[in-house]
Amino acid sequence: MKEKGKGKTKDLLVFAVFVFPAVVFVLFSTDVPFLMNLYYSVFEWNGISKEMKFVGLQNFVNIFTNDALFWRSAVFTLKFSVFFVVIINIVSLTVALVMAKEKKSSSIGRAFYYVPYIISLTAISLIWKFILGPGFEALYQVTGWEFFNWSWLGTAKLAFFVVVIMTVWQNLGFYMVNYIAGIIAVPTELIEAAKIDGANKFQAFRRVTLPLIMPAVSICMLTSLTFAFKLFDVIMVFTKGGPANSTVSVAYNIYKEAFVNNRYGMATAKSLVFVVFVLIVTVIQLKVTKNKEVEV
Amino acid sequence: MKKKTLAVLMTATLTVSCLAACGNSSDGSKGSDDKKDADSGEITLQVFDAHAYGLDEYAEMAKKFEESHPGVKIEVQHASNDTNTLLQSRINSGDIPDVFDVESGTAAQKYYEYAYDWSDEKEILDKFKETALDTGKNEEGKVMSLPWTYENMGLIYNKDLFEKAGITELPETMDELEEACKKLDAEGITAFALPAKETWVLQQLATHFMMDKSLDAEGVVEKLNSGDLKFEDMKNFQNLFRFLDLAVKYGPDKPLEIDWETSENMLANNEAAIIHMGDWCQSTLDSFNPDANLAFLPCPVSDNADDVTLLSSCNWTYIVNKDSEHLELAKEYLEYILTSEEGQKWMCDGVGAVPGVKTEMEVKGALANDASAYVEEDKTNGWIHTIEPNGYVDIVGPAMQAYMTGDMTAEQVTEEFQNGWVVQ
Amino acid sequence: MKKMRKISVLSIVVFVCSIFWLMPLLLIFINSFKPYNDMLQDFLALPKSWNLDAYIETWTNFNFPMLIGNTLVYTICTVLLVGLLAPMAAYKLARTKGMLSNICFGLIIIPMMVPFQSYMITLTRLVANLGLTGSRIGYILVSTGLCMPLAVYMIHGFVKNVPIELEECACIDGAGKLRTYFIIVLPLLKPILTTVVVLDTLATWNDIITNQLIVGGNAKAMNIQNALYMQFSAQTADWEHALPGIVMSMIPSLIFFVIMQKHIVGGVTAGAVKG
Repeated sequence: MKEKGKGKTKDLLVFAVFVFPAVVFVLFSTDVPFLMNLYYSVFEWNGISKEMKFVGLQNFVNIFTNDALFWRSAVFTLKFSVFFVVIINIVSLTVALVMAKEKKSSSIGRAFYYVPYIISLTAISLIWKFILGPGFEALYQVTGWEFFNWSWLGTAKLAFFVVVIMTVWQNLGFYMVNYIAGIIAVPTELIEAAKIDGANKFQAFRRVTLPLIMPAVSICMLTSLTFAFKLFDVIMVFTKGGPANSTVSVAYNIYKEAFVNNRYGMATAKSLVFVVFVLIVTVIQLKVTKNKEVEV
Repeated sequence: MKKKTLAVLMTATLTVSCLAACGNSSDGSKGSDDKKDADSGEITLQVFDAHAYGLDEYAEMAKKFEESHPGVKIEVQHASNDTNTLLQSRINSGDIPDVFDVESGTAAQKYYEYAYDWSDEKEILDKFKETALDTGKNEEGKVMSLPWTYENMGLIYNKDLFEKAGITELPETMDELEEACKKLDAEGITAFALPAKETWVLQQLATHFMMDKSLDAEGVVEKLNSGDLKFEDMKNFQNLFRFLDLAVKYGPDKPLEIDWETSENMLANNEAAIIHMGDWCQSTLDSFNPDANLAFLPCPVSDNADDVTLLSSCNWTYIVNKDSEHLELAKEYLEYILTSEEGQKWMCDGVGAVPGVKTEMEVKGALANDASAYVEEDKTNGWIHTIEPNGYVDIVGPAMQAYMTGDMTAEQVTEEFQNGWVVQ
Repeated sequence: MKKMRKISVLSIVVFVCSIFWLMPLLLIFINSFKPYNDMLQDFLALPKSWNLDAYIETWTNFNFPMLIGNTLVYTICTVLLVGLLAPMAAYKLARTKGMLSNICFGLIIIPMMVPFQSYMITLTRLVANLGLTGSRIGYILVSTGLCMPLAVYMIHGFVKNVPIELEECACIDGAGKLRTYFIIVLPLLKPILTTVVVLDTLATWNDIITNQLIVGGNAKAMNIQNALYMQFSAQTADWEHALPGIVMSMIPSLIFFVIMQKHIVGGVTAGAVKG
């Protein structure tokens, strides 16, 4: 008995040595801050003062009754999500279909598509600022096309599309690689067999390839959706929510509430609402794609 | 075998570096690992300064202070954008600068619990102008911070372009302003280069139209707080929209892409005739074109020529951390930069603005001198945007942008102005 | 015959597009050598001379050696810490059953489902309360913690496929647990470790938000992305210096990309959920 007990303590010690350091890091940078949200969300606090004022659930009440900007940002985020998820999945799947087939010549092409993904957002946003600013101005003078003279960052509708195009441009490579991995795994004999049975290219894709790459599709859908919901960095470094607050995402609204308007309690309360929202949508999305996978 | 050695080595290095990390972090409570004094006998004074101009003069001034105080080192962090976030993060981490400056009014109030109370130091207070001192008082009337310079804002115009268009008299009413725009337009001159990308500029512009001669800035804020005044009842407020219409019609093609730098650049290089800005941009304007012929144009807000105003206030105010380890030294340093001859040189020469301290020195900035004339004629009013509710600019600025792009009507924007004014 | 042509049309479109995809980067590169006026007049043309003056000016004026140094230190420390701790934890968690193991795994994994933005505010509070705001060490600790969940998750999935017999052999040989791990298990994890290293290197090198939140107030501890953002993004950029700055900040990640290209676009990172 004694032996066993000793063995257990030793096992525990080994376990602790292996696992606890990682746990401590995650606790520090994520778990504990997340729980702190619960605490701060019931206070009114400006982030500077030594005193905080307890307000109960007032912050949450304010979000739902008296915060038009927050709900506007929610609408923007949803709209962006729809555009982003649809466009990036269609485009990256198309590119992946071609790239997966042309094995030899495609490695350079793949690299080209992937490069924007490894570049930092600061660089990306400065690059686009340059292209849309001095770049388009120069092109307008050469070509005279009105297209280049539109106020891309000064009109609400156009700014929305700039954000969509920019994020698609940056992230395409990542989704492409995911799809390629899925497509390569599909046995070519199956497609050949379908073609012999008289299916055309599109039919072969729909009836054979697509069902078989469904796992990749659901991963990409989920990833792109969560990315879209969390849209923040681009907004912060690129549009700053402008023009006329037309590109404020939920995450950016929260950030501003805390660091610009100095309403920490309110911001943490919003954070909690945001998490619940993201979790609900993720669960629904997972259920839907899982069902699809089973169906086929 | 090789791999094994490598693995062992790697672990060893990592463990050591981890331990080192932990060791360091426990004594790094000052918040920054770069602030250890090289010489332990030295005293370092931490200063946070939110200005991006007059830097050479500032450095010279700080150097003189160091020379006259052997063993003292002045460490200045100059931060020109995101100052609020930066200062906040230093205060939160307990790394409170000994001397720092913030915007007076609502913003400064938040910091007053850290501030040294100057009320009993008559000798020092006497050196400042009364109106300037008022900008650094807390709710009980105690002097918690000391004023920097007067800043004035309004329309700034390019004299050469006005001359070219044959405008001899400054427009003082809305009709005259429109007339001037037409004349400029006829000469092919872009009349306005309003930096409409900057929500803060739009908001500052709007405050002109919230006041009239019967009510000053504090009065307006008080009445809005108590609900006695509504935006729809303001005499001049609807003229704001007429103004914005003019700015769009006689402005650049992509109005919302004009940021403050572009706007100042266009004005200084004779590409646009009128912008809205303050005399704090003097040095930027000089850097774009030192020969530009510029002056203030008090903003027309109604059909009454007497209503034109410049808005004038001491916007920046300096706080001494009351818990500073070197409180006396910090006080001495602040007194030095705000009142000594070197300090006055920095403000009058380097920055080119009228200091809050009583001074005999000549002010270099053309705009500031220009504004002084209006101050003497009593044609100025105070600032609203520094004493308005927290976060107000974020509501009304974008609303004005939306008006300029045609996404919102004047009524909707007026409503935003009213509903956004939430008293806390 | 007809079918063949159809395929190649789509292929050609995709390949031509790939060049367009790179266009913004190429334009930045060629324009970084031009004075501002040439950028406006000959936007699409090659520069008249490939002169490096603007590069050298940016390099010295904006303190690039320090910035690149900071970013390198951050990246190396984070990747080493994650590379050491994540596989240890993942391996042990995958091999141990029971409540404690499940709880620990949960604590590490749950953050993957919660958006970073929802706790970034309180994270800065926590870091501030510990007096780590503005410090390099504080930043490294945070960025390691943020990279940990995904790394553990990925390696955990991989470890399940590693046969147990090998470890048992080593045990019988009398090797200690840690030795068994480092000699037998770790080498087996190499493929997935490569992926983790690639992901975390890019994530840390390119980070801007965390750096701004944690060390924003301390100019000496900024990383390159944050400094670029502070210098050029807040105002109308001084393009003559901004463009060389962008190019120089990208070069290290491009070199890294070229070296690791096989692992990245080969599909190894597939399934890795970033973010």
